[in-house]
Amino acid sequence: MKVSERWLREWTNPDLTTDALAELLSLAGLEVDAVDPVAPDFEQVVVGEVVSVAKHPDADKLNVTQVEVGQGEPLQIVCGAPNVTQGMKACCAQVGAVLPGDFKIKKAKLRGVPSHGMLCGATELGLPDDGSGGLMVLPPDAPVGENVRDYLALNDHVIDIDLTPNRADCLSVSGLSRDLAAMANTAWQRPFELAEQPGQGLCEQAVTVSHSEACPKYLGCMYEGFDPTADTPLWMRQRLQRSGVTPKALMVDVTNYVMLELGQPLHAFDADALQGTVTVRWAQSGEKMVTLEDKTVTLDANTLVIADSQGPVALAGIMGGRDSAVTEGTQRVFFESAHFAPSAIIGKARAYGLHTDASHRFERGVDPALPEEALDRVQQLLLSIAGGRFSERVACVNAEHLPKATTIEMRPSAINQRLGTQISPVDMQAILARLAFSVQGDAQTETWTVTCPTWRFDMTIEADLMEEIGRIHGYNHLPETPVTAPMRLPHVPETEQEVNLLRRALVQRGYYEVMTYSFISEARHRQLTPEIEPLVLQNPISDDMKVMRASLLPGLLATVAYNQARQQGRVRLFESGRVFLPETDRLQQVERLGGVVTGLAHPRGWEGQDRPVDFYDLKGDVEALLNMNGLLEQIRFVASELKSLHPGQSADIVRGDSRIGYLGQLHPKLSRDMDLQWRVFVFELELDALREKPLPQAETISRFPAVQRDLAFVMPQAQPVQALKDAIALVPSDWLRAVDIFDVYQGEGLADDEKSVALSLHMQRTDRTLEDAEVEALISAVIEKVGETTGARLRDDAH
Amino acid sequence: MQDSLNELVEEAKGAIDAVDDLAELDQIRVRFLGKKGALTAMMKTLGQLPPEAKPKAGQKINEAKQSVQALLSERKQRLQDQKLAQQLASESLDVTLPGRGADLGHVHPVTQTLQRIEAIFAKAGFDIETGPEVEDDWHNFEALNIPETHPARAMHDTFYFDAQTLLRTHTSGVQIRTMENRQPPMRVIAPGRVYRCDSDQTHTPMFHQVEGLIIESEATFAQLRTLIIEFLRQFFEDDALKVRFRPSYFPFTEPSAEVDISTRLFGDGRWIEVLGCGMVHPNVLKNVDIDSNDYTGLAFGLGVERLAMLRYGVRDLRQFFENDLRFLKQF
Repeated sequence: MKVSERWLREWTNPDLTTDALAELLSLAGLEVDAVDPVAPDFEQVVVGEVVSVAKHPDADKLNVTQVEVGQGEPLQIVCGAPNVTQGMKACCAQVGAVLPGDFKIKKAKLRGVPSHGMLCGATELGLPDDGSGGLMVLPPDAPVGENVRDYLALNDHVIDIDLTPNRADCLSVSGLSRDLAAMANTAWQRPFELAEQPGQGLCEQAVTVSHSEACPKYLGCMYEGFDPTADTPLWMRQRLQRSGVTPKALMVDVTNYVMLELGQPLHAFDADALQGTVTVRWAQSGEKMVTLEDKTVTLDANTLVIADSQGPVALAGIMGGRDSAVTEGTQRVFFESAHFAPSAIIGKARAYGLHTDASHRFERGVDPALPEEALDRVQQLLLSIAGGRFSERVACVNAEHLPKATTIEMRPSAINQRLGTQISPVDMQAILARLAFSVQGDAQTETWTVTCPTWRFDMTIEADLMEEIGRIHGYNHLPETPVTAPMRLPHVPETEQEVNLLRRALVQRGYYEVMTYSFISEARHRQLTPEIEPLVLQNPISDDMKVMRASLLPGLLATVAYNQARQQGRVRLFESGRVFLPETDRLQQVERLGGVVTGLAHPRGWEGQDRPVDFYDLKGDVEALLNMNGLLEQIRFVASELKSLHPGQSADIVRGDSRIGYLGQLHPKLSRDMDLQWRVFVFELELDALREKPLPQAETISRFPAVQRDLAFVMPQAQPVQALKDAIALVPSDWLRAVDIFDVYQGEGLADDEKSVALSLHMQRTDRTLEDAEVEALISAVIEKVGETTGARLRDDAH
Repeated sequence: MQDSLNELVEEAKGAIDAVDDLAELDQIRVRFLGKKGALTAMMKTLGQLPPEAKPKAGQKINEAKQSVQALLSERKQRLQDQKLAQQLASESLDVTLPGRGADLGHVHPVTQTLQRIEAIFAKAGFDIETGPEVEDDWHNFEALNIPETHPARAMHDTFYFDAQTLLRTHTSGVQIRTMENRQPPMRVIAPGRVYRCDSDQTHTPMFHQVEGLIIESEATFAQLRTLIIEFLRQFFEDDALKVRFRPSYFPFTEPSAEVDISTRLFGDGRWIEVLGCGMVHPNVLKNVDIDSNDYTGLAFGLGVERLAMLRYGVRDLRQFFENDLRFLKQF
């Protein structure tokens, strides 16, 4: 909400600078977003009257004017504005004036004609463009010679306040100033007398309210006989503008002004456009209405409307209808000033896409005491501006359904205990009184009964009063008190590996951590995770952020592309985060760790040629991660069938029966589609599998010598080496400690489709030295088992 | 004999001085002192001498042998030293060339900030909890005292999947899950990703929050304020950091506050909002079956990117999610 500082100060005027006033508002909980001067600095600009206009002898587009500024002799000023006319009032910058932009006005000659000042347009004074297309036109009654800053009240600021939804009571100058006065402890008072305005004659418009729980108070009155040419006065237009409301026409401007001033939304109908009795009722489902904004809305039965005999003429508390709106030709106006229950309005404006100043206020709650005052004020203003007469009021009031003043039981001791303060009961009472709460109880009473003012819709429980007392006392005056709670030692599970350790391991291997959006385009999803049905957002920001990722790859690969486009050749990235996998019964939101590498295997050095990164570089990184919790030995790498990966360079990472991840080269086709350079290698691991960490159980270290035997087997090239290891694992032995692969050979001495795999077998007993015979027996058993299960034969020249 | 001994020693000395190579030096040793060497041969002639002359002659030969041995050792040492010196000279490297494999990656600045926040609270005894990002209406709104029609819902630009399922707009839902699953007292923080349907220079549709929750029998608002001030001063390592509490509104806390900070770094008199906090609303406690007469809750929620921007001088929020390596390298 925007408000003029001068307007606010008319109601309460703390002895504070503009900045200090803004700060105090913020500290009251009325957060000031911005304070902007209404006009930039300038001086010596006065109201001038153009007494004559003559063509410049030597310039087509210039005029020579005589301008009266109240100094005896008129000033001769050469003016180029197309709208300059004799008799107009305009802003005149005198010689010596400095306009915004450090523009100094000096005596000058324009094409030979002396000029003593300048007539100004709005933008030349740093004011909003008034649409005049030249000089800013001042009203005919502007006093000649008066300083324009005073006349236009330009020594003012617009304070922009970001009100929280609970403080509807501050959605007016009256309400804001009331809270400011409580905070600053200054006097608060209406800057005008407001007496009940008597009406003349009965209101000719009949009104009924069929649902008084939704509209417990409806007041109306008829206005006629006014001067149809009367304009909105300058001061009112200025205040509207400074509040961010565009002035339109007198009737609308006055209702807006009173809403801004007092907080009561009002509506003006063209009385001659209303047919029969006006009824406040629920809409019939399917009823239509054309709004002021020319939008046709089809209503549902939960919408409260103001209707005449022909149908809805306004959406109650939201917006009026086009056909009953006040126009230039309107001769009789019917003013509505009503109280609508928040529950009848809430959510409706949003549902129809019609958020208005009125709905904003009614949704949050408007003081039920205001409708009378607001009509009084409307009458007072209009009678003085446009004359005419108001009828007596028609009133439908159901006191039973009007919001009652809330009463809250409050324990001063509990307030102090929870706030951590020692505010005396007397001070608490003073604070509550400043906020217009009335208190039953005194310093000796344990529980007070506090009655809240009718404008405080946000008060329901003791904690609400605690906040009021706290904020007026000042949050920043709370004592410094550390949290006191018993010391409890934390649970530190050793069988859980921290993700941060995995991060550090990858960082040490040259990976950069990235963070990418959890939502991606549907196309990318279908490309990279075609086997997973996407989880789609109803209201995405854009098509690029439409479905929840089912893999970390989309984000990682997009980041590779982003960086490759910025001349980064060697890219190594990882991300940890959730992926979203809709399954039949429920959505799985699992955490993963994913990575991507591309470019050279090593950072460019000074030794010359490097090679591009390959599958085994990536596998080494992945194995290192899997090794961190000591579970690598339980992991198997099985050729993967994932469509997104290169069919010959990819593996599922399997532990027991479950796949805990995969790695491999991104399918070259995808790589091409995504404009990626180089070959790209990726991995993804389930974080839960990496987190799990067995508690180490120490084994005895053997003091007997170890024996190592090397064997080389010949097997088909296409057969995985894993087959050998699996075969050897089938040979029962307590003392075959490890099997290492130390050479894989293809070429001379072997058939084209064969390879030779050399293994080291490490043997050691813990109870005694191994005997040759048992070693030989084991080796024979290994050779036999390998031959039997895999078909691999011992290579002749090895051993 | 003395003459021939002297001759031999002289001859040996000449040969030793002339040699430049350890192998040749060894040949000289063999020539004079080896089994068939000249001085060894002299020793063998002792047997032909009369018994009374033997000791003296033996001593002379030994002296000659020792002097040759000394010459050999000395020369050997020198040659070895020379050889080592040559080796060292030939092995000399340009120590200013970079080493291999020194490149490290970097942890993302938002993670670093999260780790820092977690470390500060973990040391004060806070447990770390997490919750789902695709959340239900109950945990994100209803249980937090934000019913369907509440105007506060408009403050959250929520991404929906269906009427009941959404992307969490804050980490406050973890408060509810934690209170549902644990018995008070408790002290937890809940870091994580949150989502708002909002994107411009100062808003990204995804960002991170850390939620904090304390449930104790006698926690006070003043304690919350002290805790927050202490945290911010520790986080920024700035004891002079100015902290301002402003009354605010969150449906799930009462009283509520927003917290601004100000230091010379941000420009004089400029306040920057960093977090929201308050005492857990009695309705929220009721929703998770905690009696608000027995326990008081303190809660806060802070924006991680905002803190990271202030801490590291990052000007554009969106840089965190562009992941330009030239940006990430700086942290």
